[in-house]
Amino acid sequence: MPKDGSSSPNLVMDNPLSQNPDSSWSRFFRNAEMERMVDQDLSRLYPEHGNYFQTPGCQGILRRILLLWCLRHPECGYRQGMHELLAPVLYVLQFDVECLLEVRKLYEDHFTDRFDGLFCQENDLSYSFDFRKSSDLMEDEIDSYENLTKIKSLDELDPKIQNIVLLSDAYGAEGELGVVLSEKFIEHDAYCMFDALMNGARGSIAMADFFSYSPLPGSHTGLPPVIEASAALYHLLSHVDSFLHGHLVDLGVEPQYFALRWLRVLFGREFSLSNLLIIWDEIFSSDNSKVEKHAQDNADSGFRIFNSSRGAFISAMAVAMMLHIRSSLLAAENPTTCLQRLLNFPENTNVEKLIEKAKSLQALALSTEILSSMPSFVECHTKGKSAIARSRTLSSESISPKTPLTLVPDSYWEEKWRVVHKAEELKQDGVEKQVPTWKKGWTEKVKLSLKRTESDPSSSRTKSGKKESKLPVRRCLLVDLSKELGFEEDTEKLCCHDNLSATVEEEQREDGSEGSNNYSPEDRCLSQNTSSEENSPVISCPASPPNEANDHKDDSQKSSVGSNLSLDIINETSLSSSPIDSPLPISDHPENGPQTPGRNNINNSAGNSTTNSERKLNKFQWLWKFGRNNGEFMSEKGGDTSEAAKPANNCNNQSNTTPSSTANNCNNHSNTIPSSTAKNCNNQSNIIPSSTANGHRRSVSCQGESTDQNVMGTIRNIGQSMLEHIRVIECAFQQDRGQGASLDNMSKNAVVGKGQVNAVSALKELRKISNLLSEM
Amino acid sequence: MGAYRADEDYDYLFKVVLIGDSGVGKSNLLSRFTKNEFSLESKSTIGVEFATRSIRVDDKVLKAQIWDTAGQERYRAITSAYYRGAVGALLVYDVTRHVTFENVERWLKELRDHTDANIVVMLVGNKADLRHLRAVSTEETTNFAEREKTFFMETSALESLNVESAFTEVLTQIYHVVSKKALEIGDDPAALPKGQTINVGSRDDASAVKKDGCCSA
Repeated sequence: MPKDGSSSPNLVMDNPLSQNPDSSWSRFFRNAEMERMVDQDLSRLYPEHGNYFQTPGCQGILRRILLLWCLRHPECGYRQGMHELLAPVLYVLQFDVECLLEVRKLYEDHFTDRFDGLFCQENDLSYSFDFRKSSDLMEDEIDSYENLTKIKSLDELDPKIQNIVLLSDAYGAEGELGVVLSEKFIEHDAYCMFDALMNGARGSIAMADFFSYSPLPGSHTGLPPVIEASAALYHLLSHVDSFLHGHLVDLGVEPQYFALRWLRVLFGREFSLSNLLIIWDEIFSSDNSKVEKHAQDNADSGFRIFNSSRGAFISAMAVAMMLHIRSSLLAAENPTTCLQRLLNFPENTNVEKLIEKAKSLQALALSTEILSSMPSFVECHTKGKSAIARSRTLSSESISPKTPLTLVPDSYWEEKWRVVHKAEELKQDGVEKQVPTWKKGWTEKVKLSLKRTESDPSSSRTKSGKKESKLPVRRCLLVDLSKELGFEEDTEKLCCHDNLSATVEEEQREDGSEGSNNYSPEDRCLSQNTSSEENSPVISCPASPPNEANDHKDDSQKSSVGSNLSLDIINETSLSSSPIDSPLPISDHPENGPQTPGRNNINNSAGNSTTNSERKLNKFQWLWKFGRNNGEFMSEKGGDTSEAAKPANNCNNQSNTTPSSTANNCNNHSNTIPSSTAKNCNNQSNIIPSSTANGHRRSVSCQGESTDQNVMGTIRNIGQSMLEHIRVIECAFQQDRGQGASLDNMSKNAVVGKGQVNAVSALKELRKISNLLSEM
Repeated sequence: MGAYRADEDYDYLFKVVLIGDSGVGKSNLLSRFTKNEFSLESKSTIGVEFATRSIRVDDKVLKAQIWDTAGQERYRAITSAYYRGAVGALLVYDVTRHVTFENVERWLKELRDHTDANIVVMLVGNKADLRHLRAVSTEETTNFAEREKTFFMETSALESLNVESAFTEVLTQIYHVVSKKALEIGDDPAALPKGQTINVGSRDDASAVKKDGCCSA
């Protein structure tokens, strides 16, 4: 840093007033400015942990590292936020060294190396600050070492301490590791680690990129990296939760408004330091090397952040965070409120759960299909169509979804509501009449195909046939729409000749057999071997009955009285998973009510299997795709979590076989408020109702899990997630009212319109249901 | 949605940006105005932060949507997004650091490059409580403000001096600009705010006018 212009031969260029940016004087001024900026930021670093970070020693280390790094990377310079990437690194190093020193003091005999003493005897002032006094965070742990009594042999030590001793043995097997935890080299180590973090250590994610405002060479988007990464977050979000994505986009919340901060300091502002370290552990344990994306030549297209598993995790983490505050984001009606919520992340967050969710999303981010930067709803549309084409012969269910997500009209819900209500009254009496004879024949067929299947009647399942006619009208609405949007059928076809398909079909049969448990478990193996060959007959079976069958079934289900809350969970299940009718074109089926065949007969006899297997075709693909072995997701987490987790699993298991279906499914599972309150949804045309996801989940739990425990756990979670959604709706209502009026007050209020009343009572009912569910 | 849409009753929604060098006290001005809070230990802003507050001018409720931007000039990646739709700006400098005042000119240029000419700009000399450290005189700024046709006020977020009036003044001025525009159009200003977007800026997407109560959603 030349401070004297006279040393330069060219005084015309090198003088203090020179405007030339290359002159040593202007460099000098720039560097002085940078120093000032660094100092200013460091003085504001972690005020809540000021007793460590604000000590002169710590500030000195941070300052030297930052200045050195920035001088060595003039193209980057110092940008606000870098200091918060460095600080945790130094903190961790210091913490480890401090632990080592404590242990060393207590177990001096076991330490054989004198490395520090030999090589670094000069006393550096920068290390002389009293670290112990400052690090209240560390004291608990350190105290615990002090309580230990002296132990003679290394083997008697706590394994943790043994490890520390061994690691620091400069002459032991680990050799240079002794240097790693040396107090003298904290600053050096911190610099190297910071440098590796910033430059990516030849990996894909280099934090310095996020501070750059020019596009990287070879960038396909032509955007500055941080903007590109922000867009990538939204892209991932749109795959996971298209409704939330749509909401944010509609409000005009651009991702970089909040993602810039999230990314630049790697979530450092969103979490407390202790939580941040947990998250960073996870981030840095993800591989940063470029993932080879198979199957596509243009693997590099799309978003760079998805090119490594670390980048994928970072973006998955961000999406998990958005999902975590999903309901409050959805309740926000203007962009500023949204952004305020995004930038004031709740402090009491369970980081482990977030990480778990992020991990499940990471797979999705890495999957090949996320690469296609096509907007997700377009994908949905086209793929949905092709799915229909392919699966037309599969079952009568697949006829329906001709209407793409985005085309559900505003008035749809209201209309549906009215129709179903009417139908309900009409059919209340006509439900329990007789089974048509053809139906029996059909049942026989199904039985035949089930012959080799093990029956697995869980207690909850066997109930399923009994109370089908007691479903709230509102459910029907949701179910209808969910069916309209059901695109799952294509999976079946795609994996027909896959070995895996055997399992799916077997499950189908398994389920179908529940009404008539005649089949021995040993048969299972047989079916496993043969089912592949039998794909087509089995699959086409459900298609063979006339479409009437479906109509009938629906009718009976719809004939339930809305207010009847006897609430057999399984009952709900069968409803929500009933075959797909396209509500728009086939909206007349409620009028068919009177000719409905006797539901009870069907349900209580073996005919049950008919319905079930029909339904299965749809449900099971879904179940299978979303990882039926992932009961832990469902039982451990609330609705949103499992929801988010599923698409990822799906990709994990299936990205090869069902490349097109993931997006559809993701969209299907973006459960939303408006379903129950028809009022709320009119500006979002691409909404999928909440019960789509709920219904699916329910059916999964009932049919896929083999143990009651899992089922119950799932049900409880469903209940909880429903409650969560209901809260969102209530929240929206309350906002509308301009005050925190309770639902009861609201419905009594004179000004309330009729639709409003309906919606509110629907809400109340939903709440009852979900309370029951979550109490199971 | 009818009558149930109105979660916040306001007549006008204005986007206001807070700009100026790093460390001049933008975030504290904002927290003083929106939350009546001041912190000596605030962190540096990274990216942008947001806050809102509504004030009443005449019989209208003006809701300010304030974008508090990071001071470091290099955050250019998103500057144009920051400025988009802004109808008001508080350009803050630190009266104890002359360099922050020198940079005002550059900030002003950037502001004018990215926003509509009608934007209401107020120059804010913050940290006026540090009288013994003052490096920028009031006269100096007054002259500058006259030349640049901006408003000017000295504030102290710490002592809560003039903070309220600075923001209120900006919002009132924006409101006047909006009303005047409406007059020029020839309409009765009272009839104006019928779910109509006021174009203070050319393509003004953030600062829309909202009629309280029964706007159709």
